Amino acid sequence: MSPVIGVVAPRILAPAVMLAAGLIVKGYSDTGEGFSAGVIVALAIGLRYITLGRRRADRTLAVARHANVVAAAGLLIALGFGFQGVLSGAPPFTHLPPPGSPVIGIGTLELTTAVGFDVGLFLLVAGSLTVLIRYLTELLPDPADDPGDER
Amino acid sequence: MTALSIALLIPWAAGVALLAVDGRRAWVPWISVGALAATLITLGAVAAQVLASGPVTMTTGNWPVGVGITLRADALGVTFALLSVAMLTAAVVHEAFDGVAEREFPALVLLLAAGLEGAFLTGDIFNFYVFFELALAASYVLALHGPGPRVLGAGLVFTAVNVVGTFVFLLSVAGVYRVTATLDMARIGERMAVADPNAAILIAVGFFVAFSVKLGLFPFHFWLPTVYTAARPAVAAILSGSVANIGAYGLLRFGAGLLPRELELAAGALIVLGGASILYGGVLAISRRSAGEMLAYSAIGQVGYVLVAIGIGGPVGFAAAIAYAIVNAANKTMLFLTTSQRGVVVGGLFALGALSIAGIPPAAGFVGKLEVFRAVVGDPVVAGVLLLGSLLSLVYAFEVYQVEHWRPAADATAVRVSWRAWVVPVALGGVILALGVWPEPLLALSDAAARVLPGANP
Repeated sequence: MSPVIGVVAPRILAPAVMLAAGLIVKGYSDTGEGFSAGVIVALAIGLRYITLGRRRADRTLAVARHANVVAAAGLLIALGFGFQGVLSGAPPFTHLPPPGSPVIGIGTLELTTAVGFDVGLFLLVAGSLTVLIRYLTELLPDPADDPGDER
Repeated sequence: MTALSIALLIPWAAGVALLAVDGRRAWVPWISVGALAATLITLGAVAAQVLASGPVTMTTGNWPVGVGITLRADALGVTFALLSVAMLTAAVVHEAFDGVAEREFPALVLLLAAGLEGAFLTGDIFNFYVFFELALAASYVLALHGPGPRVLGAGLVFTAVNVVGTFVFLLSVAGVYRVTATLDMARIGERMAVADPNAAILIAVGFFVAFSVKLGLFPFHFWLPTVYTAARPAVAAILSGSVANIGAYGLLRFGAGLLPRELELAAGALIVLGGASILYGGVLAISRRSAGEMLAYSAIGQVGYVLVAIGIGGPVGFAAAIAYAIVNAANKTMLFLTTSQRGVVVGGLFALGALSIAGIPPAAGFVGKLEVFRAVVGDPVVAGVLLLGSLLSLVYAFEVYQVEHWRPAADATAVRVSWRAWVVPVALGGVILALGVWPEPLLALSDAAARVLPGANP
């Protein structure tokens, strides 16, 4: 394995999560949303699983073992935000607060139902891709058993 | 309007929640049954509203039409949604009595129900594709589950064929967007009428191939026997009684609804293909000796009647196609659920199903066949083919009846089945009998459903 990848792979996840958070926050006035944010985080997780091998990656990233729960929770969150309008008799995907009314903002983050939906979507995409990554890396030989690896 | 969203939300949310628990525990499938029953009730409310006062339309987020996704429940969509969810419910109740074999089964059936419902109740063709995929993804997993490499191989065939079919469908959706610049079904219908005929025909052929693959029509049937015979009875019942409805619905909605001009042009070809399907399925089913195999080939023949009725067209033809699709779904679900059982009750049910397939009163199949014959009455050749197909089905169904239910069973363990195993088939048999004896509701429903298609009101 190239030393660059060896150094980058375990450290890329945190910046990837930051980038994903940025994408979700700015997605409403600019490009980006929950789906691409999820893919970016899953790519970072994938790199970690490929370089460390499934066993060690599982140890260092406990949440990945529950990726299926994360994905299901994300889908439920997205469904919840998507269908909240139904409670008040409005169609699904009704935007709250309604267009034109003041929005509570924390910095550039605006608290709207669309952001909540995207957070759910982010968890769903990142979670289900991680499930796939874990299945696929199970087939790889564990790099930890490889005598050529001295990290 | 709210009922429409709730009908979609219930199976979806319940399905996701049930993914977290082990479906083999005794109580889990009953939650699935409860959610499906709640969906059925909500759908019933939507259907009552639709039949009384016309289609229910809803645009997500109150966006302007053309921007938001349109959910649209009309008589045709609601009929197929009710049918599919009812058959899924029957299959899950049967499986719950029998003991669920797979961990994800109760959750997957709910997700399948959400996908089917969404596909039947949308007014947007891309949204149709999305829900179609959701339903197919759930049915892939259902088909792949099971012991042994045979099920896995059959599941792989099912998945591969359907992925290709869906891809062809997506190409046609892209074509529609290119030609009409809209994905909204109501507008596509208007704009397709003035579109370039060559492009429209290409698009129409794409849709036809995609839905024929789904239905298992000759010559796109090659995958069907492998898959239906390898799957467990409940899964085979789900695939043939619920998932295959997308094919009949799609041919009606996209053919008669969006591309009526092209459908009329291809009417002759559809009737020929339908006739070929009837004869091919019938002849091959005669050479089978087990109920599962016979049913698989019979399924190919039975959808031929739907295609012939669609080819004939007009209010009578479309209504006949819908009535036949409903009866056929009930038949197939009941018969597939009983394939692995023996005994007096099951024998009686099989005989009832055989009468229904052959179209002999008092079974509901008679009503379905009668409607199709009513549609083709002006054409002696087509009527002759249909009659021959009915005779073939009478022969093959009772041949299997003789082999499986008259002769003493070679395998003595299969003879005794508890009442739990046949309670759902008996209920479905009751429905089939009731529809045969009192067909007016079925005919009224299929008439109402056919009337929403522009091809039915020339």
